[in-house]
Amino acid sequence: MNCPLETRENAQLLLDYCTRKLEPESVATLERHIAICGACREFARSQRAVWEALDAWQTAPVSADFDSRLYRRIEGQVSWWDVLLRPFRPPFSTATMWRSLPAAAAACLLLMAGVLLEHRAVAPAPAPNDMAQVDSVQPEQVERTLDAMEMLNEFSHHVRTDSPDSKL
Amino acid sequence: MAERVKTDIGTAAAALDFDAELMLRVKEGDGASFGVLLEKHRSSVVHFLYRMVQNHAVAEELAQEVFLRVYRSRSTYEPTAKFTTWLFRIATHLALNALRDGKNERLQERLDDDTSERPVRQVSDRRPSVEQFLVYQAKLDEVRRAITALPEKQRAAVLMHKYEEMEYSQIAKVLSCSESAVKSLLFRAYETLRARLAHMA
Ligand SMILES: [Zn+2]
Repeated sequence: MNCPLETRENAQLLLDYCTRKLEPESVATLERHIAICGACREFARSQRAVWEALDAWQTAPVSADFDSRLYRRIEGQVSWWDVLLRPFRPPFSTATMWRSLPAAAAACLLLMAGVLLEHRAVAPAPAPNDMAQVDSVQPEQVERTLDAMEMLNEFSHHVRTDSPDSKL
Repeated sequence: MAERVKTDIGTAAAALDFDAELMLRVKEGDGASFGVLLEKHRSSVVHFLYRMVQNHAVAEELAQEVFLRVYRSRSTYEPTAKFTTWLFRIATHLALNALRDGKNERLQERLDDDTSERPVRQVSDRRPSVEQFLVYQAKLDEVRRAITALPEKQRAAVLMHKYEEMEYSQIAKVLSCSESAVKSLLFRAYETLRARLAHMA
């Protein structure tokens, strides 16, 4: 074979060989060439040295409280995430929808009643934007909030049962 | 019908990878699956970020943001790629932003603020001697400086190639470039590293 170092494309093969990512069928051919080519031998030697130097770079383990900190942040952010992400979320599946329809309908009625009362008490005629806001209180949104609360319960359980020993 | 569609998506994701299936479960409200994903990928994300920014506190802070974003995106998640591709895409994006924001920091500050690595490969079962420790620290410093000296994208590519053992195609997806561009990035990066580290053999 021609010396792989003659072109960038073929030198890539040599790099793959040194990082043990070359297919076995090409390895034998390349090794026969390396045995007779000083430049390729030097490339392989220096690349292996780099590989070993990088191997030696071990990092410290992750902090034991990483998960509990994360779950606390999730817990703290879940309410406004829901509001922020509302416009980007796809509709829920019909099955999920039906399962929680009674709770969603009840919560929706309460929310709408609250909105109507507030409008009657303080607001003049609603501007188009306000109407859009009232319209956006959907059963899906209520259901998502309920879902998020359910997940939080599971997270809380996780945090309680989370042992620092389970991590690296 | 909806159940059937859900099953089909789940099957496709499972064929793609198990992590994607777990993420689909998170999407359906299964918090425990998020816990499994966190357990599985916590270390690799933190270590990747640490090697990118070379500061433990910053790396963990960025990793928290990565998993927060994963959680926050659960409802819009679609298994169009491997889960780890998506995960490292978020991690790389955050790391590159952090590096750009902190560009004025002196390199020395970043390297000196963190000496938490310890020799993990000991030549015997005894504690390493002071001399061995100093030699290890000196080598480590050289490796860290060589990695830090790489342009950010080359650095990310090398870390994913070396420590995450990712294929070129996956690194390409993470970095939003072509596979040949990744090969070229890696070739240039290792060329630089060979010039700086080859004497360490
Ligand atoms: Zn040759």
